[in-house]
Amino acid sequence: MMNFKGNPAHKFAESPLLQLSLPPWRSRLMALLILGSFSLLIGRAFYLQIVNNDFLQEKGESRYRRNIEISASRGRIADRHGDVLAISTPMKSIWAIPSATSLTPDQSRQLAALLETDVKQLTHKLETDKSFVFLRRQIPPLVADQVAALKLPGIGQNKEYRRFYPTGEMTAHVVGFTGVDDKGLEGVELAFHEQLLGQPGGRSVIKDRRGQIVEDVGSIKTPQDGKDIRLALDSKIQYLAYSQLKQAITDNNAKAGGIIVLDARSGEILALANWPTYNPNNREKLSGAQLRNRAVTDTFEPGSTLKPFTIALALDNAKVRFDTIINCAPGRLTIGSATISDAHPHGALTVAEVIQKSSNVGAAKIAAMLPAQKMWEMFDDVGFGQVPRLGFPGEVSGRLRPWKRWRPIEQATMSYGHGISVSLIQLARAYSVFARDGDLVPLSLTRADSSMPQGARVFSAKTAREVRTMLEMAVLPGGTAPKAQIPGYRVAGKTGTAYKLEHGRYASKYVSSFVGFAPASEPRLIVAVMIDEPSAGKHYGGDVAAPVFASVMGSSLRTLGIAPDIPLVVAQSPQSPQSPKTLAAKAKL
Amino acid sequence: MWHALEAPRRMPSEIDLALLWSTLMLLLIGMVMVYSASMATAEAGRMTGNQPAYFLFRHAIFLTIGLVAAAVAFQVPMSTWQQWSPWLFVAGFVLLALVLIPGVGRDVNGARRWLPLGIVNLQPSELMKLFAVLYAADYTTRKMAHMHDLKKAFLPLASAMVAVGILLLKEPDFGAFVVIISVAMGILFLGGMRARLFVILILVLAAAFAALIIFSPYRRDRIFGFMDPWADAYGRGYQLSHALIAFGRGELLGVGLGASVEKLFYLPEAHTDFLLAVIAEELGFAGVLVVILLFALLIQRAFAIGRQAVALDRLYSALVAQGIGLWLGVQSFINMGVNTGLLPTKGLTLPLMSFGGSGILANCIAVAVLLRIDWENRQLMRGAKV
Repeated sequence: MMNFKGNPAHKFAESPLLQLSLPPWRSRLMALLILGSFSLLIGRAFYLQIVNNDFLQEKGESRYRRNIEISASRGRIADRHGDVLAISTPMKSIWAIPSATSLTPDQSRQLAALLETDVKQLTHKLETDKSFVFLRRQIPPLVADQVAALKLPGIGQNKEYRRFYPTGEMTAHVVGFTGVDDKGLEGVELAFHEQLLGQPGGRSVIKDRRGQIVEDVGSIKTPQDGKDIRLALDSKIQYLAYSQLKQAITDNNAKAGGIIVLDARSGEILALANWPTYNPNNREKLSGAQLRNRAVTDTFEPGSTLKPFTIALALDNAKVRFDTIINCAPGRLTIGSATISDAHPHGALTVAEVIQKSSNVGAAKIAAMLPAQKMWEMFDDVGFGQVPRLGFPGEVSGRLRPWKRWRPIEQATMSYGHGISVSLIQLARAYSVFARDGDLVPLSLTRADSSMPQGARVFSAKTAREVRTMLEMAVLPGGTAPKAQIPGYRVAGKTGTAYKLEHGRYASKYVSSFVGFAPASEPRLIVAVMIDEPSAGKHYGGDVAAPVFASVMGSSLRTLGIAPDIPLVVAQSPQSPQSPKTLAAKAKL
Repeated sequence: MWHALEAPRRMPSEIDLALLWSTLMLLLIGMVMVYSASMATAEAGRMTGNQPAYFLFRHAIFLTIGLVAAAVAFQVPMSTWQQWSPWLFVAGFVLLALVLIPGVGRDVNGARRWLPLGIVNLQPSELMKLFAVLYAADYTTRKMAHMHDLKKAFLPLASAMVAVGILLLKEPDFGAFVVIISVAMGILFLGGMRARLFVILILVLAAAFAALIIFSPYRRDRIFGFMDPWADAYGRGYQLSHALIAFGRGELLGVGLGASVEKLFYLPEAHTDFLLAVIAEELGFAGVLVVILLFALLIQRAFAIGRQAVALDRLYSALVAQGIGLWLGVQSFINMGVNTGLLPTKGLTLPLMSFGGSGILANCIAVAVLLRIDWENRQLMRGAKV
């Protein structure tokens, strides 16, 4: 037996046993096995990196390559003078990757203060097991910079835009608003969405697992900002219209209302307001009633405001003349089983006086001279029963039944605006045939260039002028709407007081309206006012809607610097220098 | 003369330069890549104080300690190493036992592998790999005459290794367990144990491994993840699928140093177990090939030195050299096999390269021992007596 203690090296060399027991082949075999496995590794690496790399790279890209949209700034909406009604301002959103975020209590407090939330809520958001959370969206860039200055791990920010409406509820129904992702939902925002939107750009990036961009891949597509829209709207007139409407609705304890101001020459919509309205910058508690752009989406039976169209048609077809006498006594007229009546019984009236006094019986008798088809064509020509196609959502055509199915009583009631329904915008536009010399102007939401549009002729110029004179009489003492007078300007217009239809029957609820234009000598503006369900005692259009008309029209004319067409005579009564008698005399000529 | 050998007074004029340079190259590449792989996670981490150089700084300190320890280890004659072998083994055993004592050992990610030593943590399993080589070589040398005898030669060492193995599995450190068992078996094989016995042993071990994997759900999951990482790419196959993507992205010459995307929080353990994947992505197939060839050179030198020692009848030195070659070979092969998806994922670092103080220290000392054996060989061949 060998003794391995002491100096073993000596003994090994002398031991024949050991010479045998350390066979070199075992060492070579083992080294070979290891080096062989290494060549296996080399082969595997070659396969992964040179042969199969496309597959692996694809897998990788699906994990960290992302296409990012660079949002284009939405175009601005401005009024005719360039005052901004809707603008996109750059904002920031703050997000966090909860797993990568660990805040000290001090940092939490600072962040919560900047984000205007409390620490508890912030901590709650950061404790989710989601990989990504928004802490707050749409904060001002200045605040976002302060957040960035805290240099908190796992917290980042994105650029986004927020739409601001500086004029708020005043222009809400015209301008409308956008929803998420800049999508136009209402008003001009919807009507001109394509132009406002612009072309978003994009870039392809590699992101690390925490969402940070590492590098760009390929070229960056720059975004094309949206185009600005210049509306026909005049902010000053819009303000006047909106505030006067609001006042009138409060004073008359009305349910709703609408007002439209048109430029009679260009067809531009200078103002359009409704009540109730809403604040487009804060739409949290928005009801359907607030949202409705009534002037465009709601129809009503217009009542007497339609009488001038019937009369004009009769004049145009030489069925009557300005001074033809119509017997309206005794204030009632029975057609078939139905009876129509006047609010105040009249005797014999001239055609002009039928308008001035607003006699239903007179209008019905004149309508009886006209073929139903002619009347239908005329209504159709002035735009009733047709969708205005301004681009607003929910535009309606109103109700104009085919003339073949008209019964005589229906033709009679339509002559004074019942059995037919129109929207306020249709009504305002239709009056352009009187404000102009018999042609219907096309409407424009956007500011028109200098060329004046040519309308479609409906009545002869002579007829239009005659009706204009009759409408002037309606505003004078003895007419239905002396409250529509404006100092310094000749005014023409017509009241409307219609019963409301409820469940197919006329209820004792009213829609009071007034449509008119001024200056009557050379009409520039058309104003249409509609007040729904006035319930503070007064309900006649002449009492409820006419004062709103007068106030808005007067202020607008002065704002636009339009010269008065009545010389203001000192120490004269507010009555117009042209008395009804002189007008009547002129008409007889 | 004998005394002169025990502590060489001047720098040795003859050392194995291929071994030295391949080691230094691996250490250097390792340090650069540890920095590259850890920069992003270190900067984002709160534990690292948001210092991008956190791991580089520590790795450099470990390397300095490792190189100093290597220089010291080189001064120690092999006869001394042999005398210390049993005691080092016992010391390693005690440290492994200490790790498992609650309150003493330190848990990281559910594994209790570290002993806190003030500012650094010691990982006894890394040191135990070296001690196991030294002890198995010493044991085999002593039992050389009984190598044919199963009871006398095999069972005592086997029971010692099983005891160590149990401690390692308790941590758990399955990787270290595999390395230590293979090294012990390898040394017995090199020491002349009967081949038939070996065949039986390998079969028994294979069965034991299989049982271990079948009855431990944690390891079975790892096996399934490795079979097809794309089947559950966001679950079990997550880590491996990202490692493979890193290889695919690297192509021939890599995406460039520092440009890895996988290290940006996608690939877990990028600076430790999956360092090769980052090398593959940033330096490409060329970088991986260089690393593999450097390891191959190192291991080839270890076995060559071992055979040289056999020729000089220095049995202990011969087994130690080949044992170290086997250890570094097995561990680097397993690590690289895991990175490339050839082997199931287990916690093993890439020797000399991955981040980790205890590992670097043990690896440096191991190479120093190799250099010492070679140096002693050269002295003997010159006619000096050891």
